[in-house]
Amino acid sequence: MIRFKNLVKRFGERTVLRGISLDVRQGEILFILGTSGTGKSVLLKNIVGLLRPDEGEIWIDGQEVSKLTEEQYLPIRKKCGMVFQHPALFDSLTIHENVAFGLRRHFQFSEGEIGAKVKKALALVHLQGIESKRPGQISYGMQKRVSLARTVALEPEILLFDEPTTGLDPITTNAVNQLIQDLSHTLKTTSLVVSHDMQCALSIADRIVVLDQGSIVALGTPTEIKNSPVPLVKDFMAEVHS
Amino acid sequence: MATKSPNRIIRWKETLEQLHFIANGSLSIIVFCVCFAAIVTIIESSFHMKIVIQNDSMVPGFAAMLILRELAVVVTALLLTSRVGAGIAAEVGTMKVTEQIDALKMLGIPPSTYLVIPRLIACIFGTMMLVVVANMACLLSAMVVSNSYLGYPPAIFLTAMRRFVQFQDLILAVVKAAVFGAVIPLISCYFGFRCEAGAEGVGRATTNSVVVGSIAVIVLDFVLSYAFSYLY
Repeated sequence: MIRFKNLVKRFGERTVLRGISLDVRQGEILFILGTSGTGKSVLLKNIVGLLRPDEGEIWIDGQEVSKLTEEQYLPIRKKCGMVFQHPALFDSLTIHENVAFGLRRHFQFSEGEIGAKVKKALALVHLQGIESKRPGQISYGMQKRVSLARTVALEPEILLFDEPTTGLDPITTNAVNQLIQDLSHTLKTTSLVVSHDMQCALSIADRIVVLDQGSIVALGTPTEIKNSPVPLVKDFMAEVHS
Repeated sequence: MATKSPNRIIRWKETLEQLHFIANGSLSIIVFCVCFAAIVTIIESSFHMKIVIQNDSMVPGFAAMLILRELAVVVTALLLTSRVGAGIAAEVGTMKVTEQIDALKMLGIPPSTYLVIPRLIACIFGTMMLVVVANMACLLSAMVVSNSYLGYPPAIFLTAMRRFVQFQDLILAVVKAAVFGAVIPLISCYFGFRCEAGAEGVGRATTNSVVVGSIAVIVLDFVLSYAFSYLY
């Protein structure tokens, strides 16, 4: 479904991704782990064209997308939903308007249908009764959940999560992880999750890829990763055991 | 489910909100500042004319011409560069840093259209309106000071003004205002979109937008004044 072929991304002199080749299967939950600054978020942003690779190819559903123009990228972005590291909510809009934003832009739903979809999406992330508030009036954790609801409301085929649980309390973290798993199983959504949380990855991922210095150092199922001899993976596992 | 175009070019609600922020929000500070600038112009002109030609009878007419052609529009534009330009650069820069601009792209909305067009339209019309008001306020304060400080009553001020100033001056000032009103948000959005991560990045984008915007206003004022000189 998503295929990276020798993907290279540079920022000036600094090479962030060094020839990444990877296939992401339809409907799977793939966790991307690695230390900070190793290119995990850059890899996600390359999929949806927010960043463009310097070398290599990205294939989505049989279409090579890395050379598409902004206009040509629109159908690809519509297919993908992305939850950013920041909540990225629009400050001037209410929570209802934020979640309804994409629905109004992309579809011709009636206001009643939009209201129902917004309520449903907010209920998925355990938020109710905050529709009329502005992002500045709710906590950071709630903003992150609203951001998730905004993405999920569009029912995309591919979900990209950039550290979705950073800054959340343990209960909400579990709820978000459960939601990722539920979406994958019920809607057959393909999910790519950038995270530092090995414990969560081991419990819900179908496969885990570990990046180091812009290269893949380990790739496999949770069981394979647990037994990996790679030093960085061992460090991550040590964190889980501690 | 049929899809509709996500790219509505002009968002009128946002444009009116921006117009309110630019015109209504800046009105008091602009009127306050241009009035003082006009008062200083009258006093300084009188002082120097008395030294050079021992007579300040030309001050009201000369000051009125200076106010209409240069003072009101340039002071207004520079104040808007500081207040509005800095605000736009900080807002867009913060949106960039907090990934709101990426979120817009993901929702199929070109950020340039969504963010720049309302601010551009609002700033053009806002600056034009503010310049008309600023000119009136400037002339009024110049007339008051001419009366109280130089001893020229309003009737003499208006007569002198008619000799030096034409309606065309006000029109050309409004044309200048439209140009400045277009340049200020474009420069601010440019620096906002290029903002680097963190508070330092937003601060740098804001500072750069004010510096470059101010320089652009002064240089464009020279270019436009030179071009308009062929019309007189």
